[in-house]
This record gives sequence, C-alpha cells and structure tokens, in this order.
Amino acid sequence: MSKVVMLEVKGLTTKYITRFQEDVYAVDHVSLTVEEGRSLGIAGESGCGKSTLALSLMGYYFPPLHYMSGEIIIDGRTITEMEPDDIRREILGTEIAYIPQAAMNALNPTQKVIDFIEDVIQAHDPYKTKKEIYDLARKSFEVLGLPADVLQKYPVELSGGMKQRTVIATSVILSPKVLIADEPSSALDVTSQKMVIKMLKNLMEYGFIKSMIFITHELPLLYNVTDDIMVMYAGQIVEKGTAQEVVFDPLHPYAKGLMGSIIVPEKGLREVELAAIPGVPPNLKNPPAACRFAERCKYVRAECEANPVPLHYVGGGRAYRCILPEKELRDIYAKEARTREVHEHAR
Amino acid sequence: MKGYWKYFLNKLLWFLVTLVCAFILNFILPRLMPGDPVAAIVARLAQGMSNATGVQAIYQQYADLFGTNRPIYEQFFLYMSNVVRGNFGYSFSQYPRPVSEVLGASIWWTIALQFPAIIVGWLIGNTLGALAAYVKGGFDKVLLPVSIFVSSLPPFGMAVILMAVFAVNLRWFPTSGGYGFDLLPSATWSFVWSVIVHYQLPFWSIVLIAIGGQAIGMRSMSIYELNADYVKYSRFLGIKDRKIVGYVFRNAMLPQITGLALSIGTMVGGALVAEIIFSYPGLGYTLLNGVMGQDYPLISASTLIVTIMVLIANFVIEILYGFIDPRIKAAQAD
Amino acid sequence: MKHTIRQIFRSGKFVVGFSIFVTILLIVIVYPLIITGEPLGIIGQGTFFPPGIYVSVYDSIGSPSYTLFLDDAAAKRIASKLSNDDRLAMKDWLIADGVPENQIDITDTEKLLDLWEKEYDPDKGLPGMTFAKQRYYQRLNDSLEGLLSTEAAIIAAKNAETGVLEETGVVKQSDYVNVGEVASVRVLPFGTDNFGRDVLTELVAATGVSLQIGLVAGLIATLIGLTLGLLAGYVGGLMDDVIVFITNLFLVIPTFVLLILISFSIGQEQRGPFVIAVVIGFTAWPWTARAVRAQVISLRNRDHVNLSKLSGHSIAHIILTDILPYIASYVIMALILQISLGILQEAALSILGLGPKTTEDPTLGLMMQWAMIYQAHILGKWWAYFPPLLTIALITFSMNLMNTGLDQVFNPALRD
Repeated sequence: MSKVVMLEVKGLTTKYITRFQEDVYAVDHVSLTVEEGRSLGIAGESGCGKSTLALSLMGYYFPPLHYMSGEIIIDGRTITEMEPDDIRREILGTEIAYIPQAAMNALNPTQKVIDFIEDVIQAHDPYKTKKEIYDLARKSFEVLGLPADVLQKYPVELSGGMKQRTVIATSVILSPKVLIADEPSSALDVTSQKMVIKMLKNLMEYGFIKSMIFITHELPLLYNVTDDIMVMYAGQIVEKGTAQEVVFDPLHPYAKGLMGSIIVPEKGLREVELAAIPGVPPNLKNPPAACRFAERCKYVRAECEANPVPLHYVGGGRAYRCILPEKELRDIYAKEARTREVHEHAR
Repeated sequence: MKGYWKYFLNKLLWFLVTLVCAFILNFILPRLMPGDPVAAIVARLAQGMSNATGVQAIYQQYADLFGTNRPIYEQFFLYMSNVVRGNFGYSFSQYPRPVSEVLGASIWWTIALQFPAIIVGWLIGNTLGALAAYVKGGFDKVLLPVSIFVSSLPPFGMAVILMAVFAVNLRWFPTSGGYGFDLLPSATWSFVWSVIVHYQLPFWSIVLIAIGGQAIGMRSMSIYELNADYVKYSRFLGIKDRKIVGYVFRNAMLPQITGLALSIGTMVGGALVAEIIFSYPGLGYTLLNGVMGQDYPLISASTLIVTIMVLIANFVIEILYGFIDPRIKAAQAD
Repeated sequence: MKHTIRQIFRSGKFVVGFSIFVTILLIVIVYPLIITGEPLGIIGQGTFFPPGIYVSVYDSIGSPSYTLFLDDAAAKRIASKLSNDDRLAMKDWLIADGVPENQIDITDTEKLLDLWEKEYDPDKGLPGMTFAKQRYYQRLNDSLEGLLSTEAAIIAAKNAETGVLEETGVVKQSDYVNVGEVASVRVLPFGTDNFGRDVLTELVAATGVSLQIGLVAGLIATLIGLTLGLLAGYVGGLMDDVIVFITNLFLVIPTFVLLILISFSIGQEQRGPFVIAVVIGFTAWPWTARAVRAQVISLRNRDHVNLSKLSGHSIAHIILTDILPYIASYVIMALILQISLGILQEAALSILGLGPKTTEDPTLGLMMQWAMIYQAHILGKWWAYFPPLLTIALITFSMNLMNTGLDQVFNPALRD
C-alpha cells in the first residue's frame, strides 16, 4: 500500500456563533491523516461535532460556522492559507468533495441534473462546452451504474435512492482526491442503502476518488466500509485506530460504551446504533476544561476533573484520550467481562 | 409539451368548475335568505306609490324578469341565459339605465387601476423581500417591521392616509374622481392628463399595501431557500455565490406566484374599498352606490363580475406558472 | 411549556406586539371605569369640533378673574384673527382696488388696517372676483372690527322687568381665569365626530366591539378550519377529496364578494355586530383548513401516531393527544391571524355600508364609515377618521408582530 498522504489535518478548531452571539466550539483541536486508498470513519452520538467536522474539513466557511485555527493540507497544499475564492475555484469539487447528510434535498429542485452538473464543471472550467460536459457526465454515470436518462430529469422525478446516487455521482464528477460523506445512507430504505454503500465502495476502485471520510452513527456500516475509525465526543477526538482495533478493542471508556452494543449477534447488527450510554454530552458553549466525558464515565476519578486530558498515542496511529494507562483500562474491561459472564452463568 | 397540455387542461377544467360554482353561489346566496328578493325590490321601488295596480304591475314585471314564480332550477337557467347575453336587468338606483351599461362604464376603470397596481406592488415587494433576506442587517431590521406595519393597514386606510397627506394637505393631487369634474371623457390632452393625475393616489395606495405583504412573504421564502440543503451542497461543489443566489431567488419566487394566484381575490376586495375612498369611478364605487340605493341587480351583477375577473386572473397566473416552473411539465409527463 | 413561553418572550417582535395589544386591551377595559357616559351620547351641537380643551364661556365669566400683564397677549389676539393668508388676501384686494403695491406693508398691522379701513368697500365687487371671494372679504372685514381696540368688553344682562340691557360686568383685556377654577371644562382629545359625539369615548367603545367581532369571527373560522383540516388530513380518502375541493373553491372565490352578498341578503335590520362576526367567521376558514391539513399530513405517518394507531386508540383520541398538541402553536398563529382579519373585514364591510346596523355599539369600521360619509377626510377633519384607522392598524400590527415572533420561535429556519 502506498504511503502518500491525501488529507492531513493539524489542530483544526472551528466554532459556531449563535444568534445570541455565543460561541460554540464544535470542533476542538482535531488532527487526522488519511492516506491514499484508505477510508476513515468518524463515529459519535448526534451533536458530538462529527457533522461540523465534515463541514470544517472543506476549508470553506460561512456563517454561522467560523474557522479559528489549525491546518488542512490536501495532497500537499495547505488550503487553510488560501483565499476563499481560490479555495472555491481550485479546491472544492476538484480536490475535496462533499456528500451532505440530507441528500434528499441536496439538488436544486428546479434544475435538471445535467444543468446542475454543467454549473459545477463550469465553476472550475468556464471553457468546457456543453457537449464535453454531457459526455463526461454520461460516462461517469454509466460507470457508476446509473442510467444516463437521469441526467435529463428534475430531482422530483427521482426516487430517494436514485437521488442519493445521483448526488454521489455529481460529487465525484471532477475526481476529487478526498470525499467526505456525511451519513449518506441514513434516510434510505434497506435496498437503496445497500446500493449506496456498494457505490461508495466502488468509487475508489474505479478511480473517482483517492480517499474517503465516512461519517455515520451506524456502527456496522462503519466497520464494513472503512479502514480506520475515529470516535468523537464533545468536539474532540477520544479514540482512533484501525476499524478492527476500535471496534473490537476500544480503549476510551466512551468508545467502549459505544462498541459494547455491537457484539450482540441475535439482535441483528443493522439495528444496533450508537449511544447507549446514560447521560447527555456537555454543553459546548461552556465545555469542562478537564475530561469532557468525566460526568458520564463509569470509571471516573478525582484526577479526571483536574486537568485537560491530552490524546495519548500508543503507536501505529492508535490514540485515545484518557488519563488511565492502556494496561489499566484493559484490566478494568477484562474484569468487567468476567463478572458479566459469571452473572450470565448464574442465571 | 404533452405534460404542459395536461396541466393546462387540468387548470382549465378547474377554472370552469369554479366559475360554475361561483355562479351558483351568486345566484343562490341571496335566495337562501328569508324573503322574496322581488318583493323587497318592489317594496323599495313602490315607495310613495299609492296605486296598487301599479305596484302589482311592477311586481309582475320583475317576477317575470327573475322568473321567481317558476321552479328554482328553471330560475337558475333563466338567470344564466340572461347573464350570458349580458342582460342583468335594470339598475334600480339609476333607472332606466340597464345594469350592463352601469357596469360597462366602471369595469375598465377598475381593471386599469387594480391589475397594474397589483403587479407593480408584487414586483417591488418581492425585490425588497429578496434583498432583505440576502443583505440582512440594518436593511432587514428596518424593512421587516415597516412591511408588517404597512401590510397591517387596511387598503382603505392607506388610501385615506395618502389622501390626507398628498391631496388635502399638500394639494399635489385631487381628492376624488377618475378625472376632473369639469371635463368630459375625450381624447384630449387635458383629459388624459387629468386621468393620469387622478390615477396616482388610488394606484399607489394599492401598490404600497401589496408591497408590504409580498415583501414579508418573499423574505420568509428566501430565508427558507437560503438555508436549503442544495445551497450548502452547491457551495461545497465550488459554484459561485452569485449563481447560487440565482437558484435561491428563482425557487423562492415560484411559491410567490402561486401565492399571488391565491391572494388576488383578497387584494381585489381590499382595492375595491380603496376605490371607494377616492370616489374612483370603478366597480368599488358602483358597489357602494348599489348598497346605498338598495340596488339588488347592480350588487348581484358587480359581485359576479368581480368574481369572474378574479377567477380569470387566477387562471392566467396558473397558466403562466406552468411555463415558469419546469417541474410542472416534468411531473405531468409520466 | 414553561420553556416555550420563556423562549417566546425572548423574541423582540413578539414582546413589542404583545405590549401594544395588551395596552389597547387595558385601555378598553379601564377607560369606561374612569369616564362613564354613553359612548354614543351626542354632546355637541354641530359637526367635527376640533380636539382640545373646552371651557365653558358662561362659567368663565363667573369665575374669579386675575389680572395678568402679558406683553404678547395683544399680538396673539391679532395673529389669531388676522393670519398671514388674510394679510396677503387684503393686499390682493388693495392692489386690485388701485393702491400702489409699494405702499402696502403687510407686516405692519396698524398701517395695513388703517389702509384697509380707508379703502375697503364691502359693496364694491372687483372684476373677476367670485361671489364666494366677495363674501370672504366681507367676513374678514367684520372680524377685523375693533381688533386694535384696547377697550374692555362689557357684559350686560337683560333686566327681567324692563327688558333693558344693564351692565353687569366688564372684561378687561388683561383679565384671566384659571381653567382649574372654571366649573365646567371638558377635554376632548379627539374632538367630536359628525354627530357631535366625543370621538375618544366612542373610539374606546368601538375598539372593544371590534375586538369582540374579531374574536368571534376568528374563533369560528379557526374552529371550522381546524375541524375540516383535521378530517381531511387525518381521515383522508374521499373525505379529503371533498374537503380539499370545497376549500380550494372558497380560496379562489373572493371572500369579500361572499361577504357582500351575504351581508346584503341578510338585510339591514338583522345585521348586528354579532351576526357580522359570524358571517365573517363563516367565510374566512379556508386558509386555516388548508394550512392545518398540510400540517396534519406531515404528522400522519410519524412514529408516535403509528404507535397510537397500533395500540388501538380511537380516531378522536389520536387526534386529541397525538396530533393536536403538535399543531397547537400553528393553530394559535392561525387564530391570531384570523382575529386581525376579522377586524379588517368588518371595517371594509362597514365602509361599503354593509357593516353592523347598530345604534348602541360603535365599531371601528362604522366610525370610519361615518367619517367618510361626512367627508371628514376631504375636509381635513383628521380626528374623526385617523384615530379609528390608527387603532385598526395598531391592533393588526400588534397581532402580525406577535405572529412573526411566534413564527421565528417555532420555525428556527426563519431566525436570523
């Protein structure tokens, strides 16, 4: 596997300014790396900042979201240093592309699909002719398994699944290096969901994109689709590692809580969602200075609420944000598992 | 084009159905009320008439005209065939002028006043509303309350205020009438100028009211569209803001057009009362005269004409809308 | 619930609208407790007395008099009788009469009056002068009589026995009375109307009646609209088709036309304020029905409704507990809108002469109609039409503001 880094983010911090002029830090010093040919999944409860992270990664900010600090480097170019209009012309759509959460309404309802694609392409290359654009669009759509007559339709004429696939095909029409997909399948029926996921998996294979960030609250999807997983809590990364590691050997108590529900085969993986942990995340207008999870953590100690907790790197890209050493956490989890087994046997 | 025809026929059918229903209502509402309209008319007409045979003769004449001595469905067809031939009977208050003549003199004043005013008000209102949504800040903070206040004013209120300021105090414009009282309708410059001068205040009172309501509607629609998912998505694909604003306003405009179709009846109703304030020689003033003179045929005919005008306007807007909104053709095609 | 209310009161627009409305409501309730008297009692003989403080002339004479030496008293007296327009008119007359223009100085009152006295002849018509103009000069001349006099005015009473006038008192130009000591003083902030009634008292009563008309009309319209909207949206099927057809029909047929036809047909005798309110209510429901239906349809397939259906609850139960609470905010906004619409419709109908026929209860629309019939707007008698107009505008404005505020709370997309 090649080691070319497609997307590198260092200490990215962004905030929302509400209409009452309050600051909400939804993305707090996030750093991550995605290499060519790999996909990164981001998990967390709703409101944890994962969707905001997706928006922030685009490098193109408009109210109420504001950039504070940090760097975003795409294939060697630091886009956080560029002018907004240059980002619009040179980066968006061509280097990094986005698939929105509610793709149902992502297409302008009064425009044919092909007209929208024309606007997208001409925003970057005003000299492309209609004919060239049409040929390009038809080819990409066919490769991705979409009928070419979709191009001549209005969004209202497309079914939900078809609309979502059209959005995906449109997003990657300029072969971006990074694709950010924010819950692309959450509002669809099972069949459409499968087709969308299959399509996303194919994108890299067919060379439309070089790397992908996939955001969802459905754990099994994350495990099946992505190579690496990052767990967010209250605007911060609390754990990252390969999919295998994070799902089957989580270190952070929050990640552990999330993943705890995954290995319940009889329930059917699809039904299982994240966030089965009692309590609510802290208010990001005024987050605790120390560990943000302390309030809900089963293993909380006095030290937890004293100082900010840094992210501990434990090698191989693995990291977690907790004051307890790796070994101690593993011991606690092992002990818990044993007592649970004993309980189950007793019954 | 096939899709459009389907839409057109659908709307045409709806237009005809509403027309018939409006007709029936116009016919039946006065007859639902206790008392015989003809008796009421004759009672009024025969005031001061001591000759009983004369009263009887008048009664007979109107009973024949309205066919009140026949079954109700026959009356309806009689009424319909009379209306279709433009025969609304005689005006009581302006006897012996036929109603059709009274209306014929006033209807064009109303059309020439109201439709341009409503269209101008709609255009200005939508532009201001879109600007308020896009520019935000101080402009929006001023425009919104002002628009709410203006649209809270009844149309006749705006008419009274404009008249008090510009006609009574500043004397820039005349207070009443459609043209100078010392002139006769003719194709002379002085007459045309007089008509133009008399046109201003009624026109602007209707325009201002329309601006208020439309600006509020367009502002909400635009804000709604500006927050739509496709705006964010288009931005993230690198499309220029100017182009996206184009999408937004086009999409926000479409509901405003259907909104106009639905509210045109209310707007015309309000504008009729504004006409009265200026004694403008249109349908509003004719209606007032009808009410004051207890002139039943005149009222019935005026309301019918107003309804038909509104229905036609409504139909025309819907038809135009079919051309403007591409989804109509697409949705009907399959 | 508490949270929602707190949020509503954080909206500036709602608070402003609410304050205006409550102020109006308080005035309507409190005013009659302080100023009692028939709202439609005729207190003045004559039409359109201007706003101001009315002091009994008779009582003034009998009140203790004080002597004040005020320098500007004479100037004020002259100015009130002889306006600048009058001076210009005098100049015109004199020039037309052949006096050279440079001899006339309209700023020097004494000289001007001297000249006028010398030259003016009431019987002399000037070429091109209308009769009305001639009358104007005659009146002006009469009022100038004794303007520069410094003599006191004599008060005389007729001797009951001899019938001869006998001097009973003298009023010097430096005599003053204290308004507070005059027995009868009446403040008429908005003057009187065309029938000589106190406009303010009438206005307060009219506002109360108009609000009641609006409330009755709004409640009826909302109730009908809500019922039809719920039936169409929730029950669906044929019921939906029929209701949608009727609603659309009444949406395009102008409401105002229906109002005219019905009000006219009811006949003048039967048209009380309540009847008008009912008629308005029965013609205003289609908007609400349409809006409620749309809301209900979007709710119909929500999980909690489906759950309730599966639990075997009755339609009435589902509508009451699973649908109504979710559209309550919407219905309240519709009600507010309908109330203000009802007030506007009453006013429009009244101006047409189809408003309530009443001799006891004024309404805002009737006040407008009376003022219009007596041409207050053309005669510039603003106090007769402007107060009711402003009240209508303030009521509807406050309600629209409240609605905009509520809308911003319940539809967050409209916020910024």
